[in-house]
Amino acid sequence: MIRPGAIMSAYRARRRPQRRSITFARASAYGFLALVAISWGYILQGADSGIADVVSGQTWSNAGRFLRDLLGLDMDTKPAYLQLDQWAEKGKLAYHTLAMSVLAISIAGIGALLTFVPGARNVSDGDLGGTPSRTGRTMYFFIRSIFAFTRAVPELVWALIIVFFLSPGVVPGALALALHNYGVLGKLSSEAVENMDPAPARAIRSTGASNFQMLSYVVLPQVLPQLLTYLLYRWEVVIRTTVVVGFVSAGGLGRDFRLSLSFFHYTELALIIVWYLILVVGVDLVSAWLRRLARFG
Amino acid sequence: MLSLLLLGAFVWSLASINWRGPIGHAGGTAALFDFVLALFPPELSVEFLRVGLLATWQTVTFAVAAITLAVLIGFPLGVLASGTLAGSHSGKAAMAATRLLLACLRSVHELVWAVLFVAAFGFSSLTAILAIALPYAGILGRVYAERLNDVPDGPLIALRTSGASPMGVLLYGRLPIAFPDLLSYSFYRFECTIRAAAIMSFIGIRGLGFEIQLSLRDLMFGQVWTLMLFLVALVVLVDLWSSKIRRSLAS
Repeated sequence: MIRPGAIMSAYRARRRPQRRSITFARASAYGFLALVAISWGYILQGADSGIADVVSGQTWSNAGRFLRDLLGLDMDTKPAYLQLDQWAEKGKLAYHTLAMSVLAISIAGIGALLTFVPGARNVSDGDLGGTPSRTGRTMYFFIRSIFAFTRAVPELVWALIIVFFLSPGVVPGALALALHNYGVLGKLSSEAVENMDPAPARAIRSTGASNFQMLSYVVLPQVLPQLLTYLLYRWEVVIRTTVVVGFVSAGGLGRDFRLSLSFFHYTELALIIVWYLILVVGVDLVSAWLRRLARFG
Repeated sequence: MLSLLLLGAFVWSLASINWRGPIGHAGGTAALFDFVLALFPPELSVEFLRVGLLATWQTVTFAVAAITLAVLIGFPLGVLASGTLAGSHSGKAAMAATRLLLACLRSVHELVWAVLFVAAFGFSSLTAILAIALPYAGILGRVYAERLNDVPDGPLIALRTSGASPMGVLLYGRLPIAFPDLLSYSFYRFECTIRAAAIMSFIGIRGLGFEIQLSLRDLMFGQVWTLMLFLVALVVLVDLWSSKIRRSLAS
């Protein structure tokens, strides 16, 4: 009988990492644990931490009542989710929401497609056979900064800013979503170029191919399927966020979500949540199907 | 083929928008100019930088608290959903049920959870933390389950033939091997909870998002830029930290 521990230590011995990296990871782990302790301490000593609410019966009876209101159990009128015209009305909003998400991810994808090549390190420093130049390096730095900036700011904050310039509706929300996802997609696709096999690029460069030929015969065929996969993954995220952006940009389901919450039309809220879930699940399924197409096609 | 399909979807989305309404509004362009010009320079007075730093710290505390809760919820669910402990029929049923639960958790955006929780439980810090932690637990649980299942078979078979129980295989085989992966993925998600914590301003949680909303309301665009730069710096910093950890764990 072998001790389980013995097998593991034998397995670990074979792939023992370097000592220095272990200490960095370990130091980070301790640092993070300290951060966890401090953060929880800071939040729990705050005025409205809510730790008292967890044990108070009032909170839970409120929560129960909210749930009953959502289902419309104590109401005289018919709840919204049993009325066909309500379904149709919210369905139209869901349709707008879907259009908004497609528009957003398309703009983000087109933007990323236009800028991801100079954002790759191996393109800018000539590792793929081009000539390294100062402009190339500046472009790399500039584009990567834009990716980092647009990505770091959440969609909702972009939406808050954009409604200052555009009138409320579907378009500002789509733009806000597009900006954030442009940063995400751009970074991912630039990294895909960086991880690309450099041999074909160097080979075709040595035959005297122009930049445009390089792009269309080497870079795009290798990176485009990956870019499409990322695009579809992000679309699944975007459809979840579209509702939230609708809170501020007043487009699609998000606006009515907020309105029915503030007017206490809770059964309508329940119906909106149902439509939201239908959208999310539907988009997940379609995206999975398209991704399978992208892999084979 | 697929590209054509996607192009078609794009055209459809453009067509389905009501373009007749005004896209911009009076003064929109002027506001845009004001906003862009306010970057040169952003608000850099010492008092305001102090406000920004405090807000950054508040956002960090919420993000850290949320990700710890998410890991605490997501990990046991992930183990259940991986089906590594499931031998019997009841185990299989538990596995399917947890997978469904995880899918439900992650299909709702954190701010939607937050708004619903405020309506149900009332406003508090814990409400916001729970609202972030639930969808992230859903994502983490699913990824944990996948990583635990992707562990190479060799050591596991060795453990099993030496008479280890499923629990033993999990503790001595799957967990130690998958651990670096789980850790680096959790760290990557920490970066996302920072953004999530920032937008909890929407239900009134203090932090970077809250200050951005205040400054926007006062039309102080210079302050907005400063706060956004704080947010960018924070995310980039965490990104660098996590990629360094990932590299050191991978080597």
